[in-house]
Amino acid sequence: MLQVLAPFHSNLSGIVSLPLLGSLIILVIPNSRVRLIRGITIWTSLITFLYSLFLWIRLENDTAKFQFVETIRWLPYPNINFYIGIDGISSFFVILTTFLTPIRILVGLYSVKSYEKEYMIAFPVRESFPIAVSCSLDLLIFYVFPESVLIPMFIIIGVRGSRQRKIKAAYRFFLYTLMGSLFMLLAILFISFQTGTTDPQILLTTEFSERRQILLRIALFASFPVKVPMVPVHIRLPEAHVEAPTAGSVTSAGILSKSGTYGFLRFSIPMFPEATLHSTPFIYVPSVIAIIYTSLTTIRQIDLKKIIAYSPVAHMNFVTIGMFSPNIQGIEGSILLMLSHGLVSSAPSSCVGAPYDRHKTRIVKYYGGLVSTMPISSTIFLFFTLANMSLPGTSSFIGEFLILVGAFQRNSLVATLAALGMILGAAYSPWLYNRVVFGNSKPNFILKFSDSNRREVLIFLPFIAGVIRMGVYPEVFLECMHTSVSNLVQHGRFD
Amino acid sequence: MFEHDFLALFPEIFLINATIISLIYGVVFSTSEKYDYPPLVRNVGWLGLLSVLITILLVAVGSPPAVANLVYNNLIIDNFTYFCQIFLLLSTASTMAMCLDYSKQESSNAFESIVPILFPTRSMLFMISAYDSIAMYLAIELQSLCFYVIAASRRDSEFSAEAGLKYFILGAFSSGILLFGRSMIYGFTGVTNFEELAKIFTGYEITLFGAQSSGIFMGILFIAAGFLFKITAVPFHMWAPDVYEGSPTIVTAFFSIAPKISILANMLRVFIYSFYDPTWQQLFFLCSIASMILGALAAMAQNKVKRLLAYSSIGHVGYLLIGFSRGTIEGIQSLLIGTFIYVLMTVNAFAMVLALRQNRFKYIADLGALAKTNPILAITLSITMFSYAGVPPLAGFCSKFYLFFAALGCGAYSLALIGVVTSVISRFYYIRFVKIMYFDTPETWILYKPMDREKSLLPAITVFFITFFFPYPSPSFLVTHQMALCPCL
Repeated sequence: MLQVLAPFHSNLSGIVSLPLLGSLIILVIPNSRVRLIRGITIWTSLITFLYSLFLWIRLENDTAKFQFVETIRWLPYPNINFYIGIDGISSFFVILTTFLTPIRILVGLYSVKSYEKEYMIAFPVRESFPIAVSCSLDLLIFYVFPESVLIPMFIIIGVRGSRQRKIKAAYRFFLYTLMGSLFMLLAILFISFQTGTTDPQILLTTEFSERRQILLRIALFASFPVKVPMVPVHIRLPEAHVEAPTAGSVTSAGILSKSGTYGFLRFSIPMFPEATLHSTPFIYVPSVIAIIYTSLTTIRQIDLKKIIAYSPVAHMNFVTIGMFSPNIQGIEGSILLMLSHGLVSSAPSSCVGAPYDRHKTRIVKYYGGLVSTMPISSTIFLFFTLANMSLPGTSSFIGEFLILVGAFQRNSLVATLAALGMILGAAYSPWLYNRVVFGNSKPNFILKFSDSNRREVLIFLPFIAGVIRMGVYPEVFLECMHTSVSNLVQHGRFD
Repeated sequence: MFEHDFLALFPEIFLINATIISLIYGVVFSTSEKYDYPPLVRNVGWLGLLSVLITILLVAVGSPPAVANLVYNNLIIDNFTYFCQIFLLLSTASTMAMCLDYSKQESSNAFESIVPILFPTRSMLFMISAYDSIAMYLAIELQSLCFYVIAASRRDSEFSAEAGLKYFILGAFSSGILLFGRSMIYGFTGVTNFEELAKIFTGYEITLFGAQSSGIFMGILFIAAGFLFKITAVPFHMWAPDVYEGSPTIVTAFFSIAPKISILANMLRVFIYSFYDPTWQQLFFLCSIASMILGALAAMAQNKVKRLLAYSSIGHVGYLLIGFSRGTIEGIQSLLIGTFIYVLMTVNAFAMVLALRQNRFKYIADLGALAKTNPILAITLSITMFSYAGVPPLAGFCSKFYLFFAALGCGAYSLALIGVVTSVISRFYYIRFVKIMYFDTPETWILYKPMDREKSLLPAITVFFITFFFPYPSPSFLVTHQMALCPCL
């Protein structure tokens, strides 16, 4: 028994299990002690964040090895273990998750009316599983944890969603994701039977025949695009995003969609290099379509949240373009864009969350002239609108720029079309801002005018700091991932 | 020689005696004028639960010898029977625990409905350890006979009578088929013992065309059909939904939990040990596909809880037969793990259904707003449903994962593919429970009485297992691996 428990005091499993520990503590606290429940949730997530920063400081940059590796034996027989470790790439996803979680909790802190305890318990769970995803060095574990988030998400969308459409959204969210992922399960099982292991580090050294590579990649491919989301299966995200409460949409856009692109990066590209090179058209075409299509779709939406929900689709498809132009610039750009998108896209949903909490409507028509009543909010909103359309000096610009540089080396047509998406993206963001913030105020529709309170402003400060820091001086982030990325590129012999 | 046999059969002997004693106790005291004709269901129920628990102890203490043949080679005791029997007794004990407050709820005074749960338990113990065709058939019949009786035990309900009748006719028919298959095999080989059969069938190719003996082929076909009737695999499933719905819920719970274990154990012994051959595997292959598809599609249109659970059990039998369809060790192991987890989930689901019975809980829609009126029950039931649906961190996922793993390992790609597709389809109706409990606000809220303590322990334990199976599954994997080795060697 002690041998089982022994690994838990060390590094990475600590950060995975710390939030779960918090949720277990909440479980035994009675419903009535709301303040205590809130406090424990927030403090758990803050400690986890500090813990992850501490790991980041101790991470060595000049090696592509996985660090803080831990193995806990899971199944004795098919060689599947809880095998976790982080390298330069995955450490960022851990930090992004731990960074966003306290903010998600703070965003929805007082808007919860019913099921508060359950709501709070769900947070640490939804923090710990994505961390486990980014740390996992085992394919099966990588499969299990993104799916595990579905249960709390299903209930949160369904219970705390705002309209009758929520049930449809919850179902869609659940079934789309599962449908794709089960084929990934088949692929994983197949791989594990062929090679006798599901450890991706060993799998990197295994050669699959080319035909098999393509088949396996298609099976894996059935899962990731749903999560990313790419074009034919993208409808899940806007629906869930619109219906989820603010904190839920921060999760789905900021964290969950990253598990798809992270999966591409970690498993699909290095493991099946030939198939990756063959299948770039199958990635490029839907990605470009997604970028242009969703940008155009955004213009005709009237729902505030839906407009913001479509922009992750465009951004994440930028990421896939960068990833599948497998050179160092492309991949680093895509990782940077994922991080920056985690910051940038979470903030507008919170921005929109604030007026929604006040006015209980999301139809753009009813808004207008917010600048005269909510000046602070409007300023923050402007900042993130600009960041969302990748203004130079913000983090998104660096990411998109590197992606375009990478993509030009592979396929200039794709890069050109993707750049078109940037223009279109710039079209809808100011349009939305213009409609909502400027113009005549419409007092007939909006009776309550209260600006952001201190909590809401404080929430945005870390986002703003992160966005500017990354935009002005991205070197801090790039130097951490550089060794790992170049190792990945060399392994696939892409250059 | 025989005294050793008696020692080895001590759990069975104890259970028979305990059954008879509780029967006598019930008969004598419930008809005694002195005590004013007391209702004895609860007393007999506690006695029964206690005797099942003692039997578990007796089985567990007599740790398994390597292999021991008993009673002139009619019974066998090895690791496989040892763990199967413990598991079977545990599931029976859980059914008994569900019975305890049943009489008060239904205001029925039939203690004799408890005794027919103890009788088949004993016969199922014999079924698991049966090592001879005749012993096996006798044990199956004893079990079925008790089942016919309890299916029709509610005399005032015509549904129950109908269910009992249907079950009796179809069960007797399937037993007939099974017996016919047995006699064909006996007629063409001249032996009934499994070990002798295994010797005869080693390297014996029973192909459909160019068969060396069509009699043996027909015999195996009939035996397989008889078994598939009993476990409600698809072409032979017609009785299951009606019987599940019509019988009293407690009986339905018993039907869907215990016999699955004993019959699957028996099938493993017969088909893996004595008739190891690819011919019958194709049969199970087809039945597995058909069960998965029908289970997934037919349950979608149901709106009564017990019918839905019936179709879901048909679907799950399909998944379990995946493990059967190639006869590899992984397959058998996955079948055993699948059975174990399926039984856990079913115990949970039926404990819930029984707990919610007071207000005519019949339709799924009656669950509306359960999350508000009874949040803990709601979260437990939704965890069970997510687990039935095979959503990752829960036990149901582990069982499906391992079944698909086994299917891919032996090259049954189509089974794995169909399994995946049907399990996605089946998610629709499993998460409908969650949707109704959490999202719907019905016009009339049904308030349910709280569960009694014995029954509330069951969902608590099973939900704990379902949730925490994933982090530490190795004990069950090791045990099932040991079990799977026995019939294979």
